[in-house]
Amino acid sequence: MKKGKKLVSLICVLAMLVTLLAACHKSDAGYAAQNTEFVIGMSGPLTGGAAIYGTAAQNSAQMAVDEINAAGGIDGMKFKLVTVDDKHDASNIATNYATLYEGGMQVSLGTVTSAPGLEFKTYAHDDNVFFLTPSASNNDITEFENGYQMCFADGNQGAVAADYVNGAYAGQTIGIFYKSDDSYSIGIYEQFTANLDPSIQTVVTSFNDATAKDFSVQIDTLKTCPLIFMPIYYEPASLFMTQGVGIISQDAVYYGCDGLDGIDSTEGFDINAIPQEISMLSHFNSKATDGPAAEFVAKYVEKYGADTLNQFGASAYDCIYAIYSAMQEAYQADQKSIYVTMSASDLCDILKDKFQNGFQFSGVTGDSITWDANGFVNKSATKYIIKEAQ
Amino acid sequence: MKEERISQKTGGFLRAAKKVRWKHYVNYIVIAVLLIVFSTSSLTGGMRSSSQYLLEKIAISMILAVSLSMLVGFLGELSLGHAGFMCVGAYLGGKTAAILSASLGNGFLTFLIALLAGGISAAICGIIVGLPALRLKGDYLAIVTLAFGEIAKSIFMNSSNETFGGALGLETPRYDRKSLFILAFLLVLLTLAVIQNMIRSRHGRAITAIRDSEIAARATGINVTRYKLIVFAMSAFFAGIAGVLYSYSNQTLQSSKFGFNYSIEILVMVVLGGMGSINGSLIAATLITYLNVKLATILTGNLAILQNLIYATVLILIVIFSNAPALSGFREKYAPMNLWRRKRTAKVDPALRRDDAKSWSRIPTKIKMDELLSIDTRPEEHRAVRLEGDKPERRD
Amino acid sequence: MELITTLINGLSLGGIYAMIALGYTMVYGIAKMLNFAHGDIIMVGGYTILVFLNLTGSPILATCFAIAFCVMLGVLVEKLAYKPLRGSSPLAVLITAIGVSYLLQSLAQILFGSASKMVNVGYLDSLSFGGITVQGYTVFTLACSIVVMICLTLFIKCTRLGKAMLAVSEDRGAAQLMGVNVNRIITITFVIGSALAALAGLCTLMKAPTISSTFGSMPGIKAFTAAVIGGIGSIPGAMLGGILLGVVESICNRVSSIAPYTDAIEFGILIVILLIRPTGFLGKKRREKV
Repeated sequence: MKKGKKLVSLICVLAMLVTLLAACHKSDAGYAAQNTEFVIGMSGPLTGGAAIYGTAAQNSAQMAVDEINAAGGIDGMKFKLVTVDDKHDASNIATNYATLYEGGMQVSLGTVTSAPGLEFKTYAHDDNVFFLTPSASNNDITEFENGYQMCFADGNQGAVAADYVNGAYAGQTIGIFYKSDDSYSIGIYEQFTANLDPSIQTVVTSFNDATAKDFSVQIDTLKTCPLIFMPIYYEPASLFMTQGVGIISQDAVYYGCDGLDGIDSTEGFDINAIPQEISMLSHFNSKATDGPAAEFVAKYVEKYGADTLNQFGASAYDCIYAIYSAMQEAYQADQKSIYVTMSASDLCDILKDKFQNGFQFSGVTGDSITWDANGFVNKSATKYIIKEAQ
Repeated sequence: MKEERISQKTGGFLRAAKKVRWKHYVNYIVIAVLLIVFSTSSLTGGMRSSSQYLLEKIAISMILAVSLSMLVGFLGELSLGHAGFMCVGAYLGGKTAAILSASLGNGFLTFLIALLAGGISAAICGIIVGLPALRLKGDYLAIVTLAFGEIAKSIFMNSSNETFGGALGLETPRYDRKSLFILAFLLVLLTLAVIQNMIRSRHGRAITAIRDSEIAARATGINVTRYKLIVFAMSAFFAGIAGVLYSYSNQTLQSSKFGFNYSIEILVMVVLGGMGSINGSLIAATLITYLNVKLATILTGNLAILQNLIYATVLILIVIFSNAPALSGFREKYAPMNLWRRKRTAKVDPALRRDDAKSWSRIPTKIKMDELLSIDTRPEEHRAVRLEGDKPERRD
Repeated sequence: MELITTLINGLSLGGIYAMIALGYTMVYGIAKMLNFAHGDIIMVGGYTILVFLNLTGSPILATCFAIAFCVMLGVLVEKLAYKPLRGSSPLAVLITAIGVSYLLQSLAQILFGSASKMVNVGYLDSLSFGGITVQGYTVFTLACSIVVMICLTLFIKCTRLGKAMLAVSEDRGAAQLMGVNVNRIITITFVIGSALAALAGLCTLMKAPTISSTFGSMPGIKAFTAAVIGGIGSIPGAMLGGILLGVVESICNRVSSIAPYTDAIEFGILIVILLIRPTGFLGKKRREKV
């Protein structure tokens, strides 16, 4: 390194250290003491391969916050959403969490994806910050009493999915197509096979990030199965179906979980070109024609377009509203209990109390949603047929 | 001369202090001073946890950059799989820590044993990867290291849940966050001490000789095989240690982190720091880590998309500015150090200036024969005579 | 039977790898740099096809536009990012290439969003030979890559420009002294490489009609591996390496017990091959001189 450059970089380093030291000062009053509105924090993948999930959640949550603020918030107290990018990488969570917490976060949506969520829960537990995650569906996310899920936990989803299959396909051989490097997919797959009727044989194929372009081999393996269970997200699924046209048996049923949602709005993917039936077990139906789901879809598409519309967004939208209405209820019960500069821990205790004691919420992803003692969500999962067989 | 006069007046201590080559120790001193400042700040509770996490990240980057610098800058072998060594260290060290913390408790002893386990297992991998290095050259070796990194990542990714956690990740114990960065910086000092002393020793000169010309080095009796393996093993060892630190700073380890992109990030630190400059690597590691963390935390929400754009633009501009041959005149002219020095030494005839061999702060990268011959070794009082023809004309 | 289908699948994948590897190998052989942004040119090609397909509706026209656009982009990148560094350390160029790669990916995400998009480049009829069905795109990809390989070989062997390229790759200084315009040759290399990348983008889209900003990164690394297996700098070598890698990947994917380890196996094969033949299958052995 040349002398001059060395000097410049040394100056940079020194400047950095000075800012670091200056930023070191820790306020004793709590970080939320300066807040002028409630700060909701979230960490999600906004760049990189998983960006679509984080973007959808960020857009929808922002939409919900804007709506709540436009309607006056909680008696004039407004909300602010801060989303930090974690690139679907758990090692970014420490910094992200600290940034959010030190930025005055009082309540959180946790993380959008599972792997970073496992990291997030510990930090949130240490500081006693309430979080309600829209889509981090791993069973361990809600390990501590301050964590709640809006989506179904993977294990529960696998078990429910197996129930649907057990009756209709007893004694037959079904296909399973899962993603071997994705905890969502593995979690459902394991619970699904564990709960499957012993008389059902399975043909199992998988793929991973590196092989997610070409499914000809998997298609060939699964081509005669009457049902193909695919606990994967809609992007690889749409690719699989497109590549499987003409090879996979016409009467086969593609059956997935909530990850499949959004498949019909994937840009350029013509769902009617797929001859097979596509159905899924989900809490959100993007094809809904009435009710809150339809309203949400219309608003979202108008604002952000259809290509990022999926259940991650719907779930994040509900999370914001659920937190808002729980806070609203608490405020109505006791006007002094909820205020803009309250600490995250105080708010957490109030919300925990609400969520543990029969708080009920109806939104886009279900009616009369409640939470059990483990933090898992209680709502109905419906089998939606996205497209009938031709 | 001047030096001697001063020391005669002020006595033994100053003489001894003058004899120490301060330039050799400046990086230890700077890091130690900063460490003391930050650790008092942290232990008295005056430090935000985000700063602690940032310092941890910086320390890990520093260890990685210095260890890769030894491989790339001094041995001259391009490695695109440094994150692979880190991955091995992180998983094996993390697993050791997870097992031991059940019986020994999550304390300093567990940490030390985990460090050794991670470092040694990575070093063994380093030797295994180093073996092809004896047969392969340049970019072919680079791709072998890349392949190693991807293989390591893939094996841990597909491990069963009981062994290394598979895709869900391995749960590792977390060290007390208030003091982890202090341990991390102590390890930076250790890494520096080992690698810097190695580089400045006879062995270090042998290593740079191999880089400059392997055939010539072999001809002078240097055991090329041994040195290459040693450097690979040492470099991997410290990458493994960085991995263990990383595993301690995270609750769950996920192997997808240790891919090609991370290896490249470490390489960027080494290249921007200047090949064969340890201090440069330290500075570049600090700046790049800081830049990345700040970009991620400042650009929130809809702005997050700009992170890579800014990072990439900064990267390209810095590399072009500091390396482009066409800009070398511009760099010389406007480098702040040169501007200052020009003012000071304006009257000295440039032909009379000599590089003082004692002031070399590091091993010279390429020793040019004519420069070496032009060093006037006579006592200073005889030196005023100008030698004719001691600088041959450039013939490019 | 099953084996044959797997092999055919592997051939079509190999064809794509080969085409990308050809670009890698040309640029490496002549400009002596590892162009890690090559994979992202494929991505740009894919998105250009998407845009022009929506505008014109004709896949052939869209491909032509994509090739033209990629060539322009390739030349622009070469002029702005790589040319200023000619003559400095190869590592500096490597780092700028990485920077360009991040830049292109990030721009793609900004322009086209993070959702991956389906691109319907049309469907070629599949052929059957005695019970074995061969997909149309397989035939197209293989034909494309073979034609490209033959053309490139002829171009290098028989034209003045090709010979000049060969001269530059042998010894840049000597070629310059012989009156070869080195800068022009390197630009032409980038033109060819980028055009091939656009073509590879088309073939990838025919096989897997979905595109996102990381569309080219993994194929880029795989193709780099293929180029090294074949002997980097060698045109038939790139073809050979690409096909080999494609077939191996296809076979590994087929066997479900080793399918998750596909990457590891491919890279393992690479290491073994390099240990046996340190410069790949068809790479030139360079004796080091003092």
